[in-house]
Amino acid sequence: MTRLRNALGGEVLGLIGFLILVVILFGLTAPRFLTAANFGSIAFQLPELGLLTLAMLIPIISGGLNLAIVFTANIAGLTLAWVLNTHGGVDAGFEWFVVGSLGALIVGALAGMVMGLVIAYTGAHPILVSLAMMIFLRGLGEFLTKGGDISGFPDYLRPLGHGLILGIPVPLILFAVAAFVWHILLTRTRHGFAATMIGSNIRAAAYSGIHTKRTLTLIYTLSGLMCAVAGILMVARFNSVRVGHGEALLLVTVLACFLGGVDPFGGFGRVVPVVIALIVLQALSSGLNLLGANQHLSTAVWGLFLIGVMVLRWVAAQIPKRRKG
Amino acid sequence: MKRRSALLAGVALSVALGTGAWAQDKPTMGVVVKIGGIPWFNAMEMGIKEKGEELGVDATMIGPTSADPSLQVRAIEDLIAKGVDVIGVVPNDEAALEPVLEKARAAGIKVISHEGPGLKNVDWNFEMASATGFGEAHAKLLAEKMGGKGEYAMFVGSLTVPLHNAWADAAAAYLAENYPDMKLIGERYGVAENVDESRKTALDLMAANPELKGFLAFGSQGPIGAGRAIEERRKTGEVFVLGPFSPGQGREMIKADAISGGFMWNPAEAGRVFVTMGKMLVDGTEITEGTDIPGLGVVSPDVENRDIITDNLVTINKDTVDELADLGL
Repeated sequence: MTRLRNALGGEVLGLIGFLILVVILFGLTAPRFLTAANFGSIAFQLPELGLLTLAMLIPIISGGLNLAIVFTANIAGLTLAWVLNTHGGVDAGFEWFVVGSLGALIVGALAGMVMGLVIAYTGAHPILVSLAMMIFLRGLGEFLTKGGDISGFPDYLRPLGHGLILGIPVPLILFAVAAFVWHILLTRTRHGFAATMIGSNIRAAAYSGIHTKRTLTLIYTLSGLMCAVAGILMVARFNSVRVGHGEALLLVTVLACFLGGVDPFGGFGRVVPVVIALIVLQALSSGLNLLGANQHLSTAVWGLFLIGVMVLRWVAAQIPKRRKG
Repeated sequence: MKRRSALLAGVALSVALGTGAWAQDKPTMGVVVKIGGIPWFNAMEMGIKEKGEELGVDATMIGPTSADPSLQVRAIEDLIAKGVDVIGVVPNDEAALEPVLEKARAAGIKVISHEGPGLKNVDWNFEMASATGFGEAHAKLLAEKMGGKGEYAMFVGSLTVPLHNAWADAAAAYLAENYPDMKLIGERYGVAENVDESRKTALDLMAANPELKGFLAFGSQGPIGAGRAIEERRKTGEVFVLGPFSPGQGREMIKADAISGGFMWNPAEAGRVFVTMGKMLVDGTEITEGTDIPGLGVVSPDVENRDIITDNLVTINKDTVDELADLGL
């Protein structure tokens, strides 16, 4: 047990406990919760939220925030849609999907990089910078699309959003790969270490020889890149792009990060607990939907859940102190 | 170890209970609307519940917390998982729903939509008002109030709600043809599902265009917001606000002339029609030319586009508003 705890961290065990609790609770109350169909539904809904959460994660670890994630994803999606539509729409060849996706990734990374540069070199607060970027991207997107949606994409996009490989939803595979890359990035690379150090204490990090400006720029560029991946997935899932798709998910991504034990002030955060937190949130939401609960209630439950976790975390932190005293 | 096996037993037990409890033969139905917690869809929920009890259908309404199409997609995914017999939907964005509705129909679920004439993956879409009839009715009334001349502005719920835009098109076309002295100011503003945005936009427009004499607001919160702006500027009786709105919410405003009037259909009736049609689909009742659907009347469906379009307009004015508001609208 101790070895397990050491390997996974108390955070993960606690969250798994929560997950089991949620599953049992809904298993008993919602008749169709423990069915393949429901888990399939959860697996299809999780990835777009998950990818956006990953995009939110690195800036939070570095002590910042990226409020522009949803609109960066939308703009990246628009880029892909534009490339496909100008090259035949429904009949666009697969090569154009590749080109469009590359374009989307570049646009996403660029949006992130601009934010990163401003944050790193002017020292402006990330909330302000990303808020400005969010407003800019939203306005730009609405101007370009006139608020309408772009649809009519080739059929081969459909499996990406709704297909199965060996019984596993394709979006889930995409998310798993992205989460794995993020995990490696944060735990095994110099950049991940630098991001954490910047979050802990940016000045100390700078004095110890970390190129903080370059790291900050890279952090937001990577965040933008992940937004673009989410944007491409959303194109495939909804078969259309519109500025504002997924708008409601922005704060949920922050919630998932905090629930996953990421320090709101930066300096600590891991991918695995965040992924489990995402599963908990999605299970809660799907379970409440199965029960036919009011949607506003499920938002309230999410909030209540977060407060509960905070309190429990505080309690858990008190126990070892008592023993010592 | 002991604790862990107890846990496993618990999971096993709940699996057993979970699969066993799903033995009921009442047809189930879930209706996903644009947004929850606003009067229009509260009334629709009332209609759905009422008709559900009457016909013996287990019908529930799901109203997302914001008008974001991705939330509707999520709600429908959950309904498919729930294994309902019928899914009803009032779409925020038609295109975004096509893939998930296709999935629903592939799972053998019947799909009914309302206010979504362009949707392809549906069994039927029904309308309580034809786009032209509804748009022109408002246009005629606006022309009458404004004396056939002057500037007016137009709000729609969102630029992507096709129906609101179809109304706006019909109204603008009618006015352009019949009242050449009436002039549309600016573009269409996609604010009419939000009171505050409608109010702000109306205030801005009045400040920028002193000659503005009328607002046509297609979207349930648009007339309310624009009406508030008129009250704030003390322009009641000079600037006319028309559009469909919830009578209970706008009762005092129409009596104070902040809103001049409008037409609507009864969302509770639409809710009832959802359940009625759902039951018909589950029972295998064919809907053809001349079928009498309670709430819609005798219909002549457009079989090719799967549309059932009717004109069941209700006038909202000083005389009718109390009666409508007392219905809970």
